[in-house]
Amino acid sequence: MKHARARQVALALVVSPALVVAGLAYDAHARRAAKNGDAAAIDALARRLPTSDLALSGGARWLRAISLEEPGAAFADGPASPDPDPAGAAMAPPVELWSASTRQR
Amino acid sequence: MKTSILAFALRALARRKARAFALGGGLAFAVALVAAVVFLTESLRAEAERAHAAHPDIVVQRLVGGRPTTISSADAAKLTDIPSVRSVTPRVWGYVFLPSLQGNVTIVGTSKNAPPLSLANGVLAEGRDVTPGAHEMIAGAELARFLGMRPGDELGLPTTNPDAHALKLVGTFRSSLDLYTADVLICDEEDARALLVLPPGDATDLALTLSNAAEARVVARTITEKLPGARVIERDLLARVYHLAYGRRAGFVLGASIPAILALLVLAWDRASGIGPDERKEIAVLKAVGWSTSDVLWAKLFESLLVGASATALGLLLGYAWIFWLGAPGLRPALVGWSVLYPRAALTPAVDVAQLLGISLAVMGPFALLSIVPAWRAATTDPLDTMRT
Repeated sequence: MKHARARQVALALVVSPALVVAGLAYDAHARRAAKNGDAAAIDALARRLPTSDLALSGGARWLRAISLEEPGAAFADGPASPDPDPAGAAMAPPVELWSASTRQR
Repeated sequence: MKTSILAFALRALARRKARAFALGGGLAFAVALVAAVVFLTESLRAEAERAHAAHPDIVVQRLVGGRPTTISSADAAKLTDIPSVRSVTPRVWGYVFLPSLQGNVTIVGTSKNAPPLSLANGVLAEGRDVTPGAHEMIAGAELARFLGMRPGDELGLPTTNPDAHALKLVGTFRSSLDLYTADVLICDEEDARALLVLPPGDATDLALTLSNAAEARVVARTITEKLPGARVIERDLLARVYHLAYGRRAGFVLGASIPAILALLVLAWDRASGIGPDERKEIAVLKAVGWSTSDVLWAKLFESLLVGASATALGLLLGYAWIFWLGAPGLRPALVGWSVLYPRAALTPAVDVAQLLGISLAVMGPFALLSIVPAWRAATTDPLDTMRT
């Protein structure tokens, strides 16, 4: 590698974090600006929902709304962690019974 | 002069390619992992807090045996005369287990004076709002997709109440709102009451709007006096709940990543514990041809800086791409939960320049400094002694 070329590459590597930080900050800013277009929709929707909790574990656990139902639980939905509520507990809910009763109806 | 030393440092690294790549690769991986967890956590927090302002100032629940239960309209009436309370709205919502889904869907009843949802305000992807009394529903895009439903289709949800009607799908939420609506089914309040088998006059909880939100704490105290045993949840405290909830998850994932971070520490220890015989000989030659101790130190500092800077840049880029460009495969289930109906909406970055710079400096600073002491030791020994040994 020639000296001038090595110098250019080295300088580029040294300033690379600053370039990456600037690039990522720009991309993040653009994505946030695009998301701001949803602000009115989110505001209108949130007035209809009971909580602003995200729909992240509702299907797997009983507690969809952690902020209203389980404000202080630690690791409530962590892997292999104890969960006091039916759908995520060590003892499964009576799914077969529920399914059977649904079919009968 | 310094740039010449910088170029020399790059060529020195090129001579020890394997070591530089191993060190830089390990560092980049650790940075990517930590950065990805931070990016995802901050993004989830921001998503939860984005809808936070639209929520009632206070939510009141009734507890029996320490568990939330339904609250009666008589309890709601007791709260209307508290000064600063502008409105008390009984809300009807809850869960219905869908055997076909093997999970719950969230049923939300719409009160008669609720603001409308439409294509125009960007909430719905297709269809329209529910008409009171028409036994209609709006479902999350993910839920509708799972059930294979299109607007116009009807669904009989499982319930023990034989009077509950089948509901006709009249609209679906926009998929960009999936994070809030993936498992949500909105219907008329009476239909929700029938599905959830909630007696007339009872509600899941009460939503209070205050004329002055700053008085929430005082009002909350008055509510607990009027309804002993009630659980009073203030809106401002919920922000803290989100902070803690996602902070815990991030802590858990980072805890599970300790082996990877340990690998980074081992690499750093390798830097701190000294430099190899080849490097020692190289330093001796440099000193013999007239380099000063300061020049040698600069060369070694630049070597560390080059590896640290490029690894940090690569790590940040990988972490960001992993979360926001690729959708966080592998990490998303660990941090967000194990839902059956998984929201597919892309996450929005909440990181700013300060956080990115913070991660960069936290990695590069110690890494560069670690190289100084062994380089100083090697640079201050007699070149002849070094070359003889």
